[in-house]
Amino acid sequence: MTRLLALVWPDLRTPDADATRFPRMLDALDDLSPRVEAVDVGVALVDVTGLGPTWGTERRVAARAVMLARSVAPLPVRCGVGDNRWLATLAARLARVERPGAPAAFHALPAGTAASREALRDLPLSLLPADAATRQRLAMFGLTSMGQLAALPRSAVGAQFGAVGERIQALARGHDPRPIVARQRPEQVAAGATFETPLDGIGAVGFTLRRLASDLCDQLRARNLAPGRAVLIVTLEDAPALRVAQPFPQPALEPDWIARLLLSRLEAVSRARNCRAAELTAEDPRVVSVRLAFDRLTDPAARQLPAFEARAGRWEELRWSLERIRHRFGEGRLWQAVVERPTAALPEHRSRLVDIGP
Amino acid sequence: MRTDASVPPSLATALETLRARGLEMRRGSEEPMPERGRPSVPTGHSTLDAALGTGWPRGALTLLDGPAGSGGTTLALGALAACQAPGGLAAWLDLDGTFDAAVAARLGVNLEWLLVARPRDPGEAVDLAAWLGRSGLIDAMVLDFGLRAAPDRRALDRFGALIARSGTTAALLLSPAGRSVAGAVAGVRLALRRTAWLAVGSDLVGQRVHASVERHRWSQPGGTAELDLWFADGRRTDSLAPALAEPRDIEVIAVERAALRVVSA
Repeated sequence: MTRLLALVWPDLRTPDADATRFPRMLDALDDLSPRVEAVDVGVALVDVTGLGPTWGTERRVAARAVMLARSVAPLPVRCGVGDNRWLATLAARLARVERPGAPAAFHALPAGTAASREALRDLPLSLLPADAATRQRLAMFGLTSMGQLAALPRSAVGAQFGAVGERIQALARGHDPRPIVARQRPEQVAAGATFETPLDGIGAVGFTLRRLASDLCDQLRARNLAPGRAVLIVTLEDAPALRVAQPFPQPALEPDWIARLLLSRLEAVSRARNCRAAELTAEDPRVVSVRLAFDRLTDPAARQLPAFEARAGRWEELRWSLERIRHRFGEGRLWQAVVERPTAALPEHRSRLVDIGP
Repeated sequence: MRTDASVPPSLATALETLRARGLEMRRGSEEPMPERGRPSVPTGHSTLDAALGTGWPRGALTLLDGPAGSGGTTLALGALAACQAPGGLAAWLDLDGTFDAAVAARLGVNLEWLLVARPRDPGEAVDLAAWLGRSGLIDAMVLDFGLRAAPDRRALDRFGALIARSGTTAALLLSPAGRSVAGAVAGVRLALRRTAWLAVGSDLVGQRVHASVERHRWSQPGGTAELDLWFADGRRTDSLAPALAEPRDIEVIAVERAALRVVSA
């Protein structure tokens, strides 16, 4: 029997919440179970079937999940356990904190169809995902609890409420056929090099960078994959490490382009740091080690745009140069024009410029 | 028996002949052979293409030399449109922020394949243009310096050398102060002079411009062309148009078609 754990972070579901933490929280949950689904921002489903012998009761499994997620962001969370998606989510909704200030609330619906149906029997119909009109009609029929709706013949509910009625009656009976769709953990390939004698200056890593990029590109080419982003970490001898994350204009397997782009970005970051430090040192920073990682791996053959318009391929190629120009000259230099009101009297109202982003 | 004519010249004689010819050429007594079949970008005007040889030469700086309102910008936009037509990519470097995308679009420029760059100063504009040229993917670019001063001669020299290798054609739109610097560097210098307005009814719909090739590094200079440059929307409503461009004494020179009149400039 499947048991699912639903985790809901109310603070992540507000419009102004910082949603960038959510993927990292999901990554942390991967350590608990290989099947984790991101239902929505701030809502995750974890398949906890068979974790009992390892972690103990469902409450302890949920506590483990909460601990992993809190290692990324200490946000209050509601946990619910049930036999399927609907029951787990409903359990999370029913969870209430046991004491004020507790970091998590937990509620579990019993396992088994009959036990689940029994647990749902007295719950109000307002918990079902139905539209206002359907709820109003249910109330007109005198139906107020899930048990009452579940007890009706399916054909009668279908005759009155149609497919929508049949679906919410199945939910009221604790049935939900939708399976968990586990997310694929973002894959990353990495390579690194450590220098026994530290290199003088950022520019000296160019050769190593090209070699690392070439090795990683060869690996990925053999698997028919191409990276969409590179992350470069350069450890310095007497200064904090430099980290550069460079999304590519397109998935690419050209080590030379990638290395040049990363190097120009690295020099820009290093220059900006020197400016911030407001002290000009005569010596360049000495590089101890370099680590290059590729992620956002995709199938390069999926890009077919140049097949339809030859110029599109050249423009995509140009974007590599534009990225380097952006690093060299700064933001706000490269634009594309879009005509908005061609007949406006003032030229500045006729069109606007759109930044050419990565 | 072999005659003297059939005897092959000795190595020393052949070398002497070659050296003499080389010296002669260095002295300038022989005209250098014009480079034939140099790749070019069409100007969008057949008469101007003929005056320039085959169009804007690739790998060259072209100076559009004329007073404000003499059609330099229109000509440059037309060149970009003509360059884009067969599938080229173009760039416009806009120093003063006066680039009007709506006008460009009406003159046939496909904005989807046009890069608009906004450098901070003339020096940066030349650097940026050099970076774009180095990519080898831009077919034509226009450096519109507006009223700013031209960059220094050395920067333009470097840019010219780089452009020559890249195969990009670059047009310069400069204020009068900068033209002397750029004129010495540019491979092609095209002088523009408005000769008449074109009017339909009371609306000015274009201008007639006399273009003369005053310098051409790869072809014979001296070619001229009469260009009819039509305003983008058929009327001069652009508030940025210089006041000098307005006609003062309107005198109808000719009526070319049923409605089109040629008016004195």
